[in-house]
Amino acid sequence: MHLVPGHSRTPSFPLDGIKCVLESFFIMANQPLPLSQETLAQFNRSMSTEPGASGPPRRRLGSISTRRSSKDQSKDQPHHRPLFLRSMTLPSSESSFLSPTVSNSHISMGKRFSFAGWHQGGRVSFSGLYLQQPIQEVYVENTYRMGPEPGCRFNASRTQQILQATLDSYLEGVCYSPDSCSQLCQMLADLVLSKLKDVNPPRYKVVCQVVVGQSGKQGIRVSSRSLMNPNTDNYTSAVFHNHSLFAVALVHGLYFE
Amino acid sequence: MEEYHSGDEVAFSPDDASNVVKECIEGIVGGVDYSQNKVNQWTASIVEHTLTQLVKQGKPFKYIVNCAVMQKSGAGLHTANSCYWDTTTDGSCTVRWENRTMYCVVSVFAVAIAL
Repeated sequence: MHLVPGHSRTPSFPLDGIKCVLESFFIMANQPLPLSQETLAQFNRSMSTEPGASGPPRRRLGSISTRRSSKDQSKDQPHHRPLFLRSMTLPSSESSFLSPTVSNSHISMGKRFSFAGWHQGGRVSFSGLYLQQPIQEVYVENTYRMGPEPGCRFNASRTQQILQATLDSYLEGVCYSPDSCSQLCQMLADLVLSKLKDVNPPRYKVVCQVVVGQSGKQGIRVSSRSLMNPNTDNYTSAVFHNHSLFAVALVHGLYFE
Repeated sequence: MEEYHSGDEVAFSPDDASNVVKECIEGIVGGVDYSQNKVNQWTASIVEHTLTQLVKQGKPFKYIVNCAVMQKSGAGLHTANSCYWDTTTDGSCTVRWENRTMYCVVSVFAVAIAL
């Protein structure tokens, strides 16, 4: 817990030994008021304008948090910003300002705070209800995994079947037309990708390319070369051909940890 | 061999890649006409040279280079791609080139690897 430079001290109220990893902030309230998102973000700013703040610098970081008990007051004063909190990373454990023991504080009434200084960027409603939990940092444990799991590699043959089936079902009986085929092509690429995302093993990135062209007397050659790890990565392709158009689909699966 | 910078998140630069690709295409099919016999060789060289040049840059990426060469005959050609990756670090670039008798479309996809 540390003081934010440039701010006055908080009024005295008991610390409950709440641990937190937040930046410091002040709590000042003389009545339990619901919090709005802006209030949390701009708390420090209000502190510097609060007269009568006294007491040892105490922090109750966890208490101004996402607990909102009453909504009545917020409706009455939609622009009230009684409590502010900078970046919040812990869920609320207590809400001491709601307790009657909190006193000797002062709320900047009627102060309108702009949204400009708010760091978190979540959605706010003017009724004072915040619409979103503050962003919480997610700490993921190390899995110590150096490669894909044995059953979880990119399955080229299954992907090829999916690819071929998609092309066949989608392009059966379709005639080439210059206006619609560009959208058809993009749609096919997205469709193939969405189908592959379901069967995709975890930690794999997928690149899918579709070439659609009019079937004429011309010759065309599509080739591909890639730099990848042959133990973990693979690719497949599928071709569809009818009297008026042809389509080539290429899919690469790349392992990423 | 250049050293990789571990810990740096280098995003893919499409402009660099497209310059590399253009030079490769010009070098291989610059002034020639479409020929059924040679197109196999051309596409293979284009992808191979492009890939080699990209790797020489020494960036921490896996690359996929696709090339389509089509004879000009009035027929239409469309390409599209869709990728499931990390948009902050990965990227792609597509270069369209043509001459009197053929079209050449080269796509480069670069997928970051963790170092």
